[in-house]
Amino acid sequence: MATPHTLRLVTLGATALMGAVAWTWQARETRAPRRRLRPDTDVLVEAARTLNRSAGLLALAVAADSALEHARGDFHNRAMYTPLATSLLSLLASGHGHRDDAAAAHRLRDGCYLAAGLTGLVGSGFHLYNVSKRPGGFGWTHLFYAAPLGAPAALVLSGLLGYYGERVRDAAGDRVPRVFGLPAGQAVALMCAAGLLGTTAEAGLLHFRGAFQNPAMYLPVTAPPVSAALLAGTALAGPHRPGLRALSRLWLRFTTLLGLAGSAFHAYGITRSHGGWSNWRQNLHAGPPLPAPPSFTGLALAGLAAHALLDEERHLTPFHARLWRRRPAWRLP
Amino acid sequence: MDALETPRGRHGRAPDVLRPGAWLPMREYPQNEPVDFVIVGTGAGGAPLACKLARAGFSVVAFDAGAWWRPLEDFASDEAHQAKLYWLDERLCDGDNPLKLGSNNSGKAVGGSTVHFSMVSLRFRPEWFKSRSLLGYGVDWPLDWREMWRYYREMEQALKISGPVTYPWGPKRPRYPYRQHEVNGAGLALARACDALGVDWSPTPLATLSAPRGDAPPCVYRGFCVSGCSTNAKQSALTTWIPWAVRAGAEIRDLAMVGRVETGGDGLASGVHYFREGRWQFQRARHVVVAGYAIETPRLLLNSASARHPDGLANRSGLLGRNLMVQTNNAVWGHLEEEVRWYKGPPSLALCEHWNYEDRGKDFFGGYCFMSQGPLPAAWVATQTGNHGLWGQALVDEMRHYNHQVGLKIVGETLPQERNRVTLADEHDQYGLPVARVTWSMGDNDRRLVAHALDFMGRGLDAIGARDIWSEAENTCHLGGTARMGFDADSSVVDADCRSWDVRNLWVCDGSVFPTVGGVNPSLTIQAIACRTADRIVALAARGDL
Repeated sequence: MATPHTLRLVTLGATALMGAVAWTWQARETRAPRRRLRPDTDVLVEAARTLNRSAGLLALAVAADSALEHARGDFHNRAMYTPLATSLLSLLASGHGHRDDAAAAHRLRDGCYLAAGLTGLVGSGFHLYNVSKRPGGFGWTHLFYAAPLGAPAALVLSGLLGYYGERVRDAAGDRVPRVFGLPAGQAVALMCAAGLLGTTAEAGLLHFRGAFQNPAMYLPVTAPPVSAALLAGTALAGPHRPGLRALSRLWLRFTTLLGLAGSAFHAYGITRSHGGWSNWRQNLHAGPPLPAPPSFTGLALAGLAAHALLDEERHLTPFHARLWRRRPAWRLP
Repeated sequence: MDALETPRGRHGRAPDVLRPGAWLPMREYPQNEPVDFVIVGTGAGGAPLACKLARAGFSVVAFDAGAWWRPLEDFASDEAHQAKLYWLDERLCDGDNPLKLGSNNSGKAVGGSTVHFSMVSLRFRPEWFKSRSLLGYGVDWPLDWREMWRYYREMEQALKISGPVTYPWGPKRPRYPYRQHEVNGAGLALARACDALGVDWSPTPLATLSAPRGDAPPCVYRGFCVSGCSTNAKQSALTTWIPWAVRAGAEIRDLAMVGRVETGGDGLASGVHYFREGRWQFQRARHVVVAGYAIETPRLLLNSASARHPDGLANRSGLLGRNLMVQTNNAVWGHLEEEVRWYKGPPSLALCEHWNYEDRGKDFFGGYCFMSQGPLPAAWVATQTGNHGLWGQALVDEMRHYNHQVGLKIVGETLPQERNRVTLADEHDQYGLPVARVTWSMGDNDRRLVAHALDFMGRGLDAIGARDIWSEAENTCHLGGTARMGFDADSSVVDADCRSWDVRNLWVCDGSVFPTVGGVNPSLTIQAIACRTADRIVALAARGDL
């Protein structure tokens, strides 16, 4: 029985479990120190592949979510098929990227990611237009229940993650890998942090609509912004903050798990709708959206990829600048 | 339908209405030992009182003449069948405007009429508690609005009212515990009409869940709310206060018609005679609370006359049964070019309280709100046949507009008049009790209010391009006022604590204590008063004044 007390206990238990798993995951992380003058191409390609996978995860979430929600809207407008098509393209590109260890961008993948990102942007505009023409003025009613303003942004993020992945591959041979003028690690980290914040805003709005009736609904509006802040902080603070880096990686791992746990919580939410899972045809639409939470997982994994790049940059720093010699006083696992 | 034949609350158990086939253990009290409180009626007044008194440690037995329904199993998607929730026992209605009693002003079930209410949960305008002093009409309440607003807050929290993030009218209020529901086509039509008329509108605060709560699911917008919610999303007394009361140790006796409050030689109430399982029985009690709503409450008290109380219990002022008020429930209807499908979701998802809070530009006292409408097909057929006499092909043709129909309907204040009253008739009902005679005539002020409302709403529908606009001029709903609360024994039946001036262990706890009815649905106010009464009883008991 879903009493407030049970829900509190479940939330605490899930948080502790995710924390323990994140901690263990971090403790098992192994990194051999490297002594090289140029960035390790493998590290960059591996980071790029992680970005491909992240982009794929977001694309998968968007494909499932837009299929469900636009089916609910009866594909009233033909344009409502577009996100389904482009997110599937982004998914295919990501699968391809995952299997590709070449240190160079792929033109088709780039195209797919650009198409996904553009579709997301146009979709946001469409949704905004949809809301603006509803009667009664712009207000909570329409923010809650009209076309969701934040949802197409997940497609923008999928496209961006993939596109960044391609740029990282392109930079793999450079002495100082850069993406859009910023060091690669920093560029990816800042983009992920912004994505985490945007996704938090979307979860915050919809969980506010659900009145935070289950205390677990506070998790995705608290943990990801902390991740975003730590990630951005790490990227901007420079290489001499190993404690911050470790903490940031730990939060990102927690957020990765949170995205998956979110789907489990949403599956539980569906059981609490009238008819539960036996009425799945209605409750997949009316209940909490199953595919939405893994967006956090995608972004957090991308954030971890950013960390790999940042670490690579850190390892190179002594050779480039010959400045940094101080050992960290403490470090998290 | 066996719930109508055999009581379900007996043998130490009560139906667990939130789970099919499940039961809750229920305490049972012997009849020959007095319980602390007997409560007659388990609706918006009796149920919260039973819960809060039981939680405070009093022994409580609550009676209801109706059945203990299990919504998940007993409620059909059939308007006609669900008439089983109304109080349709014989009553005589007269006066200039005889009332139609049934769907929107009565209930006969454990949970009372909250089982089929439209869930509209509004607060009174603060000034209404001092309507005589501040607004120049009616009478003042002996209650302070700030205290009432604290109880409104408690009720909204207890029932997880789903309301708007910001409410456009009145003093700032705390955020509703659950968020507003999606506004349906009919509600958006109201929004457009209000935009055109230059007044605010709002999603209606409703006692149906917009997110899960315990074992209750969020609303599925099935639209059968006023026929009884079959999913338990509706936070009726049946799904909230009653199970809470049972868990707190109260006993609820269903299919138990109380016919008479017995008084002893000291003039105090000593218990109630009730008819259950084929025979009259007597439950002894230290206190009796009557919570049967504005017709059954005075009927029971009038029928409990004795040598010491020849005019009925609690009737020294002669006001028992008088000042019966209704709320006017007139509508303006029309149809739009585009599809509206007004049957979707709760019937009143959007409202406008402008004329409750605006005093300028009125040629009448009091206020009204108006709400979007969504009558189910049979109810709409009844509206068409009743108002236009449509039948046969003409009715079929009219019903083709059903999915394009829109309407705005008021809940309007009527003023108390002593001539409007409940008395006992010479006829007797199936229990052998004298039936109630309900006399009601509209006053001039009530007519002016309705005319203003119909004109205003008509302009609203016209502004959004509705066609074939027509007004439904005759309709009333919620009742109140027949056991008014007041400042002294000469001008009222009960005091601010709902305690009878004459019989100090007799209480009234329902809409009949309202001195004025205001222009909003009364259920939240009835529940707020019940909770205040419970707190007052606990306080009085603590200092030995009970």
